[in-house]
Amino acid sequence: MFTELNEIERVLADKYGHQRDPWGLEPKRAIADLKMLWPIYRYYFNVRVHDKDRVQDKPYMVVSNHTGQIPIDGMLICTAFATEVQGPRILRPLVERFLSSLPFLGKWSSEGGAVLGDRRNCLNLLKRGESVLIFPEGVQGIAKSPKDFYKLQRFTRGFLRMAIASKAEILPVAVVGAEEFYPFVFHFKKLAKFLKLPALPISPHLFPLPSPVDIYIGNPYSLPPELSIDALDEDLEPHLIEIEKRIQNLTTNGLNNRRTLFKRS
Amino acid sequence: MNQKIKSVLIIGIQGALAKITAELLIKKHPQIKIHGVDSRPITDIAIRPQLTHHQIKYTRTNFEKIFREHHFDTILHLGRLGHSPAIGNINKRIDINLIGTNSILELAQKFHASKVVILSTHHVYGAHPDNPMFIKEDAPLRGSFKYAELRDVVEMDQMCTNWMWKNQNEIETIVLRPCNIIGPQIKNSITQYLRSPYAPIPIDFNPMFQFIHEFDMASIIVEAADKLKTGIYNVAADDVISLSEAAEIIAVKKLRIPIVLVEQLAKFVTPAWKFPHYLISYLKFSATLDNSEIKKNLGEDIFRFNAKEAIELLKYR
Repeated sequence: MFTELNEIERVLADKYGHQRDPWGLEPKRAIADLKMLWPIYRYYFNVRVHDKDRVQDKPYMVVSNHTGQIPIDGMLICTAFATEVQGPRILRPLVERFLSSLPFLGKWSSEGGAVLGDRRNCLNLLKRGESVLIFPEGVQGIAKSPKDFYKLQRFTRGFLRMAIASKAEILPVAVVGAEEFYPFVFHFKKLAKFLKLPALPISPHLFPLPSPVDIYIGNPYSLPPELSIDALDEDLEPHLIEIEKRIQNLTTNGLNNRRTLFKRS
Repeated sequence: MNQKIKSVLIIGIQGALAKITAELLIKKHPQIKIHGVDSRPITDIAIRPQLTHHQIKYTRTNFEKIFREHHFDTILHLGRLGHSPAIGNINKRIDINLIGTNSILELAQKFHASKVVILSTHHVYGAHPDNPMFIKEDAPLRGSFKYAELRDVVEMDQMCTNWMWKNQNEIETIVLRPCNIIGPQIKNSITQYLRSPYAPIPIDFNPMFQFIHEFDMASIIVEAADKLKTGIYNVAADDVISLSEAAEIIAVKKLRIPIVLVEQLAKFVTPAWKFPHYLISYLKFSATLDNSEIKKNLGEDIFRFNAKEAIELLKYR
């Protein structure tokens, strides 16, 4: 197991070198973080990746549902793509401006690979052959009350236009198990607005519960080559619905086979 | 190549970059006549038969006399007053950067100059947490959103670009927005900051920076006068390095502290240290430039030094 991790470390070090990239990724630091997170990924959250053979060694726009109050789901997907798929890679999650403006956390996240969610950043990264991770539900997706757990929020269309411009394949992903990290949560929406925070979830426990997580990878989705970047919203709508449907199906299937805190295998 | 460059006016000739530019112009066009002007006393300037210099205010009638007598075909406006020498002196900066620039543009038009090159700065874009990496020339100028002290810089750039489009059929105007210019002779805020021992380096942020060596910058100004067409051009090399890497290369002892303390410290030591407050935001967030436009027009190999080499050269001064 640790031999395997060392081999992955070697592959990633060869692939990314030792230089920082323009977005602040520090490969050495990212790999060190990965090694630190890996035991949590494997033993605390007991993550399983399904249909990983659908991922080939090429850049993707990975599009996922967003769950779990804090973006642990993003870290778990990134760990999965660094350790469990063909062509291990440091996935570049596109994050909220709020994160990049935070001291320490913004620095730490960008050194680990996170990038401000901006169209130009996304296109430049895909052009360089990187894979990006997008949560098109945004904060609406992650900050849900228990009654709305696993209900997919409407996707924004921006990622489709970026996929058209870059001709990148969209890889639908669903994470099941993350909503149970904080099962008893309350959202102070007005206070969050007052404090200019994206969300303010309050939970009786600070640390996430060790809910087992399943990551389901769908078939890659390519947009028709004739679709223009300036296509009307209504021309994009069928593709948006199709991607939402695929992720919702992956989530529903995952929920039917869900593991629990007490039944982790 | 434009063979018409015969008579050039360089505004801000006392600046190190202007002096290097004049030398390069003379080397490239030995028959050239250069007049250099500056509102500051002009010292330490090489004596060349092609170069004449005058200390003059850009708003005085004598300034117009120079235009009238010498029929310049090219004007290089390298005289924007930075914040380091004029910190806290907003009136002086408005006088030189806005009223002075307006007067230069009017006179260039009145006396039928064929080309004007204006040196602006990447500070017009501002350092913001939502800046994309590699800002393009058409991005909004948000430099003065948070720091009013950058108002003159943004307004000067806007004045020049408005004027540029308005007069594009009569006069070729080039606005250059360079990244951080550094070099042994340059005395701007960033060079001062990098060289200062015990200058604060934030531990809670690590923004990415682009640097251009003074020699490369001067070469690009000469190339701009020769070859570039009307337009706005970001000027930056391809490589980007983090602030902490730059500090490591320069190998001067730095104070590693959180940015909150840096902000307070800057207020406290400003009179002695001359560190503009707006630069604090550059210690937090990146403002890096997309250079595709200038490379498309001048070629891929226009930079002699990469960022690391430029910083290394700063070290051995």
